[in-house]
Amino acid sequence: MFRLIKIESSKLFYKLKSWLGPMLIMILVLTAFPLSIDISQFDLEKFYFSIIVVSLLMTSFLATEGMFEEDFEDGSLEQEYLVEQDFYKVVLSKIFVYVCFIGVPIAFIGAIFSFANGVAIGNFINVFVSLSLSNLLLFNLFAFGNALSINKGAMLGVLTTLPLALPVIILLGTAIRSIQYGNGFLEIISLMIGMGFLISAIMPLIISTTLKTHID
Amino acid sequence: MKLISAQNISYKINEKMLFHNLSLEVCSGQGLHIKGGNGSGKSTLLKILLKITSVSKGLIEYKNQDLKISYLGHKNAIKNYLTPAQNLQLLFEDVSLTNAFGWLEKLDLYQVQDELTANLSFGQQKKLALIRVLAKSSELIVLDEPFVGLDKAASELLNSFFLQKLSEGTGLILTSHIQPSVECQVVKLDKTNV
Repeated sequence: MFRLIKIESSKLFYKLKSWLGPMLIMILVLTAFPLSIDISQFDLEKFYFSIIVVSLLMTSFLATEGMFEEDFEDGSLEQEYLVEQDFYKVVLSKIFVYVCFIGVPIAFIGAIFSFANGVAIGNFINVFVSLSLSNLLLFNLFAFGNALSINKGAMLGVLTTLPLALPVIILLGTAIRSIQYGNGFLEIISLMIGMGFLISAIMPLIISTTLKTHID
Repeated sequence: MKLISAQNISYKINEKMLFHNLSLEVCSGQGLHIKGGNGSGKSTLLKILLKITSVSKGLIEYKNQDLKISYLGHKNAIKNYLTPAQNLQLLFEDVSLTNAFGWLEKLDLYQVQDELTANLSFGQQKKLALIRVLAKSSELIVLDEPFVGLDKAASELLNSFFLQKLSEGTGLILTSHIQPSVECQVVKLDKTNV
């Protein structure tokens, strides 16, 4: 497992486009949106979270594009299958690396921008944790989409799994409201952690079966 | 010692039978050359023997579950956005990494080790991909068209590598339209296998 995490980290580190792109897009959207519309600070603070949520969805969507496609195309998946005899650990380590190196920084950027737009400093951690957990869920879902259509252009599969992301968005919206109104945050975050564990355990199984079907 | 055996294996794809009731085995120090025309199922047979592709019927058995196999298919499994040196660092560690860099020198790739792999020629990329097999210690080597893209010197080097490995007791299975200079059993995939 450590070997796989090391390999995936190195690969992602050198693929500048894959990790820097989503982060720059996140910053760009969060900066450009308030500048592009004529709106008072008061109104902006009311709906700025919606922009963060949509940016989060968009960037996680972009970050997972081509997650397995490249390895499938160049034959690395076959090689990993030969060593591991299934894809579970490969998928698990890939999602872990993507969440750590892209998901968490994106969540951090989102939290900083929410702080700059009226969220109390005491709630910074709460926002950051909510966004990070949402990214964990979204990356798992979009990774599945990517694996589904690996030989037909991975973006197509990611698009088909977009409806599955709606419950995550609803959950994140609830978490954000609980932060804004100061009640029920712990319950929501516990639910998100539970879902995070569940999805992180089950989704790699489904994805590994999908990948096996593709190389078969 | 028998490394791998396939008994009465059949494979059907899109209602087309590629081969039927095919049996073969490879022992230590033995080579197997799979021949056949384009689309006859050579690469598929290799993937079936490696259990990457599920067989329609029949049985594949290994000497043991931990049989050490080195494989290079028709895809190079190297990263174009990395340099050859970085590619090797992804694949190998410690002693085997030193060994891999030794092969880089033997295959005339040392001077391009810090260039992007995407900028290397087809033959150079093939040589780099082959290092995955050459520098790894294994009990069975499985190669799909290993000579494609190689120059004469590299082909001779590969043949002498095969000779050395076979004498050390490693098994070898390869598909190739080019005859290897080592002695191998031959399996020909044609209509008689269907």
